[in-house]
Amino acid sequence: MIDRGEVIRMARLARLELSEAEIAQYQMDLTSFLISGEKLQKVDVSRVEGTSHAVPVTHELRKDEVGPSLPQDAVLLAGPKVQDGFFQVPRIVEAQE
Amino acid sequence: MISYDTVIGLEIHVALLTQSKFLCSCKASFGAPPNSQCCPICLGLPGALPLINEKAVEYATKAGIALNCQINHFSRFDRKNYFYPDLPKAYQITQDTFPLCTKGFLEYYVDDRLVKTEITRIHMEEEAGKLIHSGASIVDSEYSLVDYNRAGIPLIEIVTAPDIHHPQQARLFLEQLRLLLSYIGVSDTKMEEGSLRCDANISLKPSGSNVLGTKVEIKNLNSFRALERALEYEERRQSQVLNQGGIIRQESCTWDDRTGKTMPMRSKGDAPDYRIFPEPDLPPLHLDPVWVELIRATIPELPLERLKRFEAEYGLSRYEATFLVNYPDFGELFFALACQCRAYKAIVNLLMGDYARLAREKGHLDPQRLAELLTIVDEGQITQTQAKDVLEDLFSSHLSAREIVQEKGLEVMGDPESLRPILRQVLGANSELVHRFQNGDTKLLGFFVGQVMRVTQGKADPGVVNRLLRDELGK
Repeated sequence: MIDRGEVIRMARLARLELSEAEIAQYQMDLTSFLISGEKLQKVDVSRVEGTSHAVPVTHELRKDEVGPSLPQDAVLLAGPKVQDGFFQVPRIVEAQE
Repeated sequence: MISYDTVIGLEIHVALLTQSKFLCSCKASFGAPPNSQCCPICLGLPGALPLINEKAVEYATKAGIALNCQINHFSRFDRKNYFYPDLPKAYQITQDTFPLCTKGFLEYYVDDRLVKTEITRIHMEEEAGKLIHSGASIVDSEYSLVDYNRAGIPLIEIVTAPDIHHPQQARLFLEQLRLLLSYIGVSDTKMEEGSLRCDANISLKPSGSNVLGTKVEIKNLNSFRALERALEYEERRQSQVLNQGGIIRQESCTWDDRTGKTMPMRSKGDAPDYRIFPEPDLPPLHLDPVWVELIRATIPELPLERLKRFEAEYGLSRYEATFLVNYPDFGELFFALACQCRAYKAIVNLLMGDYARLAREKGHLDPQRLAELLTIVDEGQITQTQAKDVLEDLFSSHLSAREIVQEKGLEVMGDPESLRPILRQVLGANSELVHRFQNGDTKLLGFFVGQVMRVTQGKADPGVVNRLLRDELGK
């Protein structure tokens, strides 16, 4: 069973605020992932070629050509606070004591 | 007091010189209005699907080949998750487990010794956006402004092994790396614009020990001088801490160029936990070996090879060769001139001396016009002193060197019959000195030559004057 603290830590990394009920639910859901993983680990894959990707697509490269971008005002719509064409964001690093 | 060995490793981020961004077709250039070169892909809007820029892969491969790396025909992209305002998607697409290039090296001179620094890996990733802080630094800023035009420009990160031993060596490595990257044309390598950035890891260990000490990472090193100064500062600081029985904390610092100190950074968020996993939106990269060989064929002569060639084939000194390598425009000009004039030393002396000064103000001369000047000096038609005058005129007029010589009446007086009367006049006026010369004070010969040059306003051929003087005085 994944413990409560682990769920809270993962939620914090993803900037998610979880209720007590959600924490309990995720404890169960995430634990069931791990159980599935344990089952898979028991499968004998010694004769299966390794894969890093589900679909065998390779080498889809794009020519280095410039295409249209979004208009500036459309881009800025995504931000809660803007200034002179920039997004404005709050303090990033805490001040030194 | 224990003596310590310094161990330095560098991580260098290089913006590749593509027209469009790494994973979308937004323009990759600098200087546009903020947030005007963004699209759903580089902003990470839902449903957008990235596509890799072929040129970026080509340039990264080219850098790997030039740095003697193994080019991995299979490499893969990973998603590195973290929250930081310069990162619009809240993750960066990078290569973690399977980088494009591994196991290379760069050779460069430290003083007169050729040293080799191992390149552990080169991987591709996306550039972040640009932050402009409201205060003097990130620490003093109540808020920051973000421009995402830069976000998504293709980068390579070059990681060295920790086998650099002193701050000056780190600077020399970075200078050589920058030169190499500019030779192969994959980046404009402008440190002041951020297209070449360096982070440094530094630790100390007791001399001779095999165990590495705790390292400190210094970020924000935006010039060669900042790199060297920051490492010198940190080397001193760590040795003081260790000698006082303290311990070094593993941390990231920023370098403050104004105060000349490193400052520990304390982030508001958690300790980094990037939860890296294979990037689901991009397939792995399989390079066709034939394509890699085609890229290999586009690698030009690299700085170190060129340096060796200047020394071996043209007999230039290390100092001269280094000048021509560090200023490739002068190097190319040298080659153009060397085809027409075999006085290689004279060419390099001219290029490094008055020519460099004038060319920096007014731009380069056509090699043909410069070659003619070198030829007439080599043929002895004008003296070195006169050549300086002609050179000035080449920059300010459209006349050829020969035309300038003719117009100014500068031809060398090399005819013994017209020089002999002048010589006799000089010797006659200095009979006392002639006497001393004939009694063994041979250094006076230079004085006599100088007098003849003065009377002829520098036109006399010093070689002929020398010979005639010995002739006259020997009588």
